[in-house]
Amino acid sequence: MKDLIERIDSGFDRISLRLEDKEIQAPVDLIAGILFLLFGVFILAIMPEQVTVSEKDVVNGRAFPTMLMGLLMFCCVLLIGKEVIRIIRKQPLTRKTINLLVEVKALVIFCILLVTFLICKYTGQFVAGAVFCCLGFLIYFRCKKPAYYAITLVLAVAIWAAFRYLLKVNF
Amino acid sequence: MLQFIGPAAGLLFTLQNIIWINLGVFIGSVFAAIPGLSVILCVILFLPVTYRLSAIPGMMFLLGIYCAGGYGGSVSAILINTPGTPHAAATMLDGHPLSKQGRTKVALKIALYASTFGGIFSAITLLFLGPQVAQIASQLGTAEYFMVCLFGLTIIAGVSGKSMVKGIISACIGLWISCIGSDPMTSYDRFTFGVPRLYLGLDLAVCLIGLFALVEIMSRAEDKKEVLHVDTRKMKDDGVLTPDEKKRIRLPIFLSSLIGVMVGIIPGTGASEASWFSYNTVKNISKHKEEFGHGSVEGIAAAEAANNAVTGATLIPLLTLGIPGDGTVAIMLSALMINGLNPGLSLFTTDGDIMYAIMLGLILVNVFMLLQGKLLTQLFAKVVLIPKEILTPIIVIFCFAGAYSVNKNYFDVGVTLVFALIAWILRKFDMPAVPILLGMVLGKMTETNFRRALFISDGNPKIFFSSIYCIIFLLLIIVAIGAIVRSKMTENKAANKGE
Repeated sequence: MKDLIERIDSGFDRISLRLEDKEIQAPVDLIAGILFLLFGVFILAIMPEQVTVSEKDVVNGRAFPTMLMGLLMFCCVLLIGKEVIRIIRKQPLTRKTINLLVEVKALVIFCILLVTFLICKYTGQFVAGAVFCCLGFLIYFRCKKPAYYAITLVLAVAIWAAFRYLLKVNF
Repeated sequence: MLQFIGPAAGLLFTLQNIIWINLGVFIGSVFAAIPGLSVILCVILFLPVTYRLSAIPGMMFLLGIYCAGGYGGSVSAILINTPGTPHAAATMLDGHPLSKQGRTKVALKIALYASTFGGIFSAITLLFLGPQVAQIASQLGTAEYFMVCLFGLTIIAGVSGKSMVKGIISACIGLWISCIGSDPMTSYDRFTFGVPRLYLGLDLAVCLIGLFALVEIMSRAEDKKEVLHVDTRKMKDDGVLTPDEKKRIRLPIFLSSLIGVMVGIIPGTGASEASWFSYNTVKNISKHKEEFGHGSVEGIAAAEAANNAVTGATLIPLLTLGIPGDGTVAIMLSALMINGLNPGLSLFTTDGDIMYAIMLGLILVNVFMLLQGKLLTQLFAKVVLIPKEILTPIIVIFCFAGAYSVNKNYFDVGVTLVFALIAWILRKFDMPAVPILLGMVLGKMTETNFRRALFISDGNPKIFFSSIYCIIFLLLIIVAIGAIVRSKMTENKAANKGE
């Protein structure tokens, strides 16, 4: 077990070193504006197919979502417009630093969550997923204290038991 | 009102309710004491548990978490100079210096007493003011209600995050999510994308677990390695306040409670604003200004009384108009509605005994918070040290178990994962998540009132400008937008100057 953790550790270290200083300066407002504008257009485009309405309705089920998307797209245009003015005036755009190491670590965490979900779903055993989740995060945090493994696993099983037997949730 | 007090007390004082209150207070104190875990996260994690309870124990449990969260945040602020919750930041300014002077117990005691007074003051205000506001709310029609929803959404969208435009985009997304499922007026399906399970819509608790809880887990990727040190030996002082100190904290506690209540009633403002505002006010009127920032007892009392005085006050617009004062109480609205209790006058008349039991229960919550604070502070102090290696997987298991338990299927767990991913992407764009939550909570109410109003007027939008209440709310929306835009511009100018 120790060997495995050390090998995983050194693997993490190598990747971390490579990604640590890699940063992207993303023009977040411009990207957000374009992305949500496209989202608004997409929702409006699928509206006739996704929202069935009756001809007799004074105000049908499409009215409210259409109004929302109109407002959303208007806000997106404001966001994009603000950035375009900055470009014309040759001012710096609103940017955000995105660190690749942070994103990769977030992806690893998301993968742990996803695998936990898949184990729960396909084995039908919530407790199996819970145990994987504990091990996954303890390895992610490079935990080398056996006591932490024991405590976390006991707590995981206790939570499962509390939901199963006290709250009668049939996992 | 008096006719409801007797039956309400009978409903409230049961062993089951007392247990749930104490459980809520304990969990709230523990969560708030741990830096990085917020009260809203705690309420979201335990919301599915309340689905199995009736209205009173469910609300008592959530209110226990909510109120104790106000006090719990001060424990880590005083002990390790890190606020457990954002609203304990003002407490930290004087709490930690006082602790460094070897008077940790005194600091914790002042925080506890001030929090309890603030909480009870706020609960009593709710008890007396709530029914009066509900009377006014009963005069509102569908068009007025739509304007009220719009007002609440505008304020929350405006004050959450750095940009009002992004706040509105987030609110629109939340409102759109609430449209998924069956049409509230015709029952035709909308945006179900051929997935039959979506006909029932997306459960609020399931979405929130992804939006607020799992995304916090993903944000551990941003953590820097840090080790917290708490020396509980520092808590060996006698904890006795001198008669002069007792005298000095009386006025700040009362004044801050008043400020907390006034700030709490305004939707969109919360405990953080109240604690900073009252801290500065008390500092300005204090005869010992020089002590502020160096362990002032008045400073701790002011900040703590104010942030707990918000708790009952935020429930006033929630219970009377259905407008949540902040994200946490928005979740409580869903806990109420799931039990068939809808905000408005009927809550104080038809369901008066339940409502008064909840309002009286808020006083009881603060009493138990005081008792637990007195008995368990040493334990709460140690909780600060729970390592994230243990805490993180435990929270994830809670999230998954909670999401599954809502409808007892793994589809919902998958939905939480999708929402966690969406929330992570939104964070990258600096888009606030609280307006999404508000949009989801208020979505059905907003749309139903919008469509009913137009139905009544045969499609004529003039109905939204037809009554005095509509015009008042329209003016309030315009004033709010103006004030928010102005304050954002001032902030931006200050930031640009700083650069």
